[in-house]
Amino acid sequence: MTTPAAELVGVTQRFGSFTAVDAVDLRIPRGRLTTLLGPSGCGKTTTLRMLAGYATPTSGRILIDGQDATRTPPEKRDLGMVFQSYALFPHLTVADNVAYGLTMRKVPAPERRRRAAEALELVGLGHLGDRRPKQLSGGQQQRVALARAVAVRPRLLLLDEPLSNLDARLRVQMRAEIRRIQSETGLTVVLVTHDQDEALEMSDEMVLMRAGKVVQSGAPRDVFPAPADRFVAEFLGYENFLTLADGREAAVRPEHLRVVTADAPLDGRVDDVVLDAVVRDVAYRGVDVLVTLDATDPAGTAVRLVADHRAEDETPAPSPGARVRLVAPRARLALLTPAAPAAAPATAPEGNR
Amino acid sequence: MRARSTLLLLLPGLAFLLVGFLLPAVAMLFAPPGVTFAQVIERMGAMLTDPYDLGIVWRTVRIGLVVTAVCVLLGFPIASLLARSRSRWAGVLLALAIFPLLLSNVVRTFGWLVVLGSNGVIGQLLTGLGLVEKAPQLLYTELAIVLGLVQLFLPLAVITCYSAVAQVDPGLEEAARGLGASRTRTFWSILVPLSLPGVVVAATLVFAGSVTAYTTPYLLGGSSQRMLSTQLFSYASVTVDWAAASATAVVMTVLVFLVSGISALVGRKGAVS
Amino acid sequence: MSGTRLRHPVAAALAVAGYVIMIVPIGFVVATAFTAGSTLRFPPEGLSLTWFGEAVAYSPFMEAVVSSLELAALATALALVLGVPVTLAVHRGRIPGRGLLEGLFLSPLVVPELVVGLALYQQLMIGLHLDNFTTLLLGHTALLLPYAVRVTGASLALADPALEEAARGLGASPVRAFFTVTLPMLRPGLVSAGLLGFVTSFNNVPLSLLLQTRDFRTLPVTMLDYVQQSYDPMVAAASTLVLAATVVVAVVAERTVGFAKIFGGINR
Repeated sequence: MTTPAAELVGVTQRFGSFTAVDAVDLRIPRGRLTTLLGPSGCGKTTTLRMLAGYATPTSGRILIDGQDATRTPPEKRDLGMVFQSYALFPHLTVADNVAYGLTMRKVPAPERRRRAAEALELVGLGHLGDRRPKQLSGGQQQRVALARAVAVRPRLLLLDEPLSNLDARLRVQMRAEIRRIQSETGLTVVLVTHDQDEALEMSDEMVLMRAGKVVQSGAPRDVFPAPADRFVAEFLGYENFLTLADGREAAVRPEHLRVVTADAPLDGRVDDVVLDAVVRDVAYRGVDVLVTLDATDPAGTAVRLVADHRAEDETPAPSPGARVRLVAPRARLALLTPAAPAAAPATAPEGNR
Repeated sequence: MRARSTLLLLLPGLAFLLVGFLLPAVAMLFAPPGVTFAQVIERMGAMLTDPYDLGIVWRTVRIGLVVTAVCVLLGFPIASLLARSRSRWAGVLLALAIFPLLLSNVVRTFGWLVVLGSNGVIGQLLTGLGLVEKAPQLLYTELAIVLGLVQLFLPLAVITCYSAVAQVDPGLEEAARGLGASRTRTFWSILVPLSLPGVVVAATLVFAGSVTAYTTPYLLGGSSQRMLSTQLFSYASVTVDWAAASATAVVMTVLVFLVSGISALVGRKGAVS
Repeated sequence: MSGTRLRHPVAAALAVAGYVIMIVPIGFVVATAFTAGSTLRFPPEGLSLTWFGEAVAYSPFMEAVVSSLELAALATALALVLGVPVTLAVHRGRIPGRGLLEGLFLSPLVVPELVVGLALYQQLMIGLHLDNFTTLLLGHTALLLPYAVRVTGASLALADPALEEAARGLGASPVRAFFTVTLPMLRPGLVSAGLLGFVTSFNNVPLSLLLQTRDFRTLPVTMLDYVQQSYDPMVAAASTLVLAATVVVAVVAERTVGFAKIFGGINR
């Protein structure tokens, strides 16, 4: 097994009595894109800042390329960081911004210019080198920040919520762009985000954090259908939670909950969960209809559920007050481990694929 | 708000400004008592050719430049340390730097008489240690004036540089560090250029203050180290030479305007577009 | 970043030197004020409060204190009464050349005070035979107007004009709206401008210097003259009293609006 590009061993960061990062162990695989995902205050940005050297862990060790870098100042770590605010130097031209790291590494001027131009070319801004950062749009500034970090050929490329200041359309475009750059350069990338769509779309490996701890990690394809606990499930967009007859808790997404008429024949598998429900509210949303229902789950508890009723479904959307039947296919139920405060990373809940 | 009521609001203030400042200032130039405008101009010409007068102008400019340089050199480090510190003491130290601004210049300058006087702290220290036979003449020298003015204007330099440094995003310095710049390198390549417009403002304020200050050259320079301000006072109240007083006033004002103008130009050019 | 420790030895050394120059001479003033001797010698010869007694008993000083207080209070009040309407006109009025107008009211800051003093002395006292108190009051008020206009202007700029419109919409006359809505919003600005103006006027030397007469003299100029004539520790004692009063003002400022905000906020 190769050495990971970076590794956190039992890293804790305390600010006064507040523990921002709590004994985190993490391996950043080489040449892949890893996202740190979680709500604000979960410790993801602090983790990134410790990786970059802007914060020193209260305890624990940080290894970069297998070597201890816990107390190495940022300028000696040879990493590339893209800040949420971009942090472009306003007094330097775009080209000089991109060349800054190369100047610090005493790269001779001709090579410096060439490499800065290359990096700008990589992000598609080869023609804007003479501008000042303020003369660029937000999206362009973002690309310059990316070029500046990439130009030094860093051991790790760290991105702190790089897309959060862009408008929705640009954000989606930049996701693909960052993936392209990652695969063209083969860089190891660590990206911090609070947007689960972003993480799912971009990651090779995603790490979910909560309250300073890693809750679950793995490839998006493995994590998404099998959230480890209720927190992860909610974070990934599971809106319905019910307790099964055997007492285990399960989560199901609105689009996987089928609303059928109360007398419809049951054509699914025997272990599909079928509930009787009363429609409370119906919200028309164009492509779909959001149906809110009151039901009793297999354990006998009253629950409120939301079903995403597709317009193309054969059955018409029910109206409020209607008695209906809800079908949750067994294969779509994500079984949750009881909300343990700190589940071990990447513990896949057993066989529910 | 209608034009008429706006005018009514402005009128009293405008009247005071005219009587208490603008009209006398203009009249002083064109018509000092018993003197014509031509005589003022003539006296100004003489000032700029007469070696004694010119010496005073030059001393004023020289002291102004030295004080400005020292204030920036000492003020910027204080400001950048305070602005970037997260210590509780930073607030106390900032207050300590601002406090002297409230304190009378006479009181502050008087301290230097105690320090530099013939029986003063430094003299006693040097003779007491047997380093010198007789305490050196420190008072009534250019050095004394420079020290006094630095004490007077350093707080202004600190505050002005402080607001300049405080508005530079610390994230930029982090970014520079991440790109491989050492602390020192970051200071010179990021913090200094970005706070330069504020430093230019600080330098201008200090220079303008230094070349027009009266208390310090009067107490610490005496009659042997005349500056434009002490010379102006002597023309106006000792020799009562109105033409010379007005001429000196004009030279002093032009000097301040000139430097403010230059710094405004530099500031505009240096400002990040 | 680095937290408390001073980061670079050179920067730290320069900073220490700066503080020494700013603060230490003031310390020596206080130290000599308590001397029992009769000269400005250091270290002081013995410890006593003699010179404080002398300073308080010296009538020119005490008369000057009263004069300076009177002048500073009147000039500050006048500057505010004249300056607030100007601020309103500049910020809320629809007038052409607003920038120019504001510049005009800030102009006393750019002309050297000594030059203004000379102009007032020549033109008003000698030329128009105004008495020196009136001249001083005119001059100090003009000098403080920029502070009043700028500092209250900063407060007004923060206040939403829609508040006044809302008050009008609720039935308040323009005057009523001003006193019930606008003026309360200006309060921090008024306190700042008032304190700043008072301290500036009280300490002023260059503007007041030529405008002194036997009947009405300000404290700083009186102290300045005394130092020039006799070299005894009485001025050190007087200075220490002024210092103590200034500390009180600083504490009051800190408690009301915030000391650094008032005295650190003004960039001419």
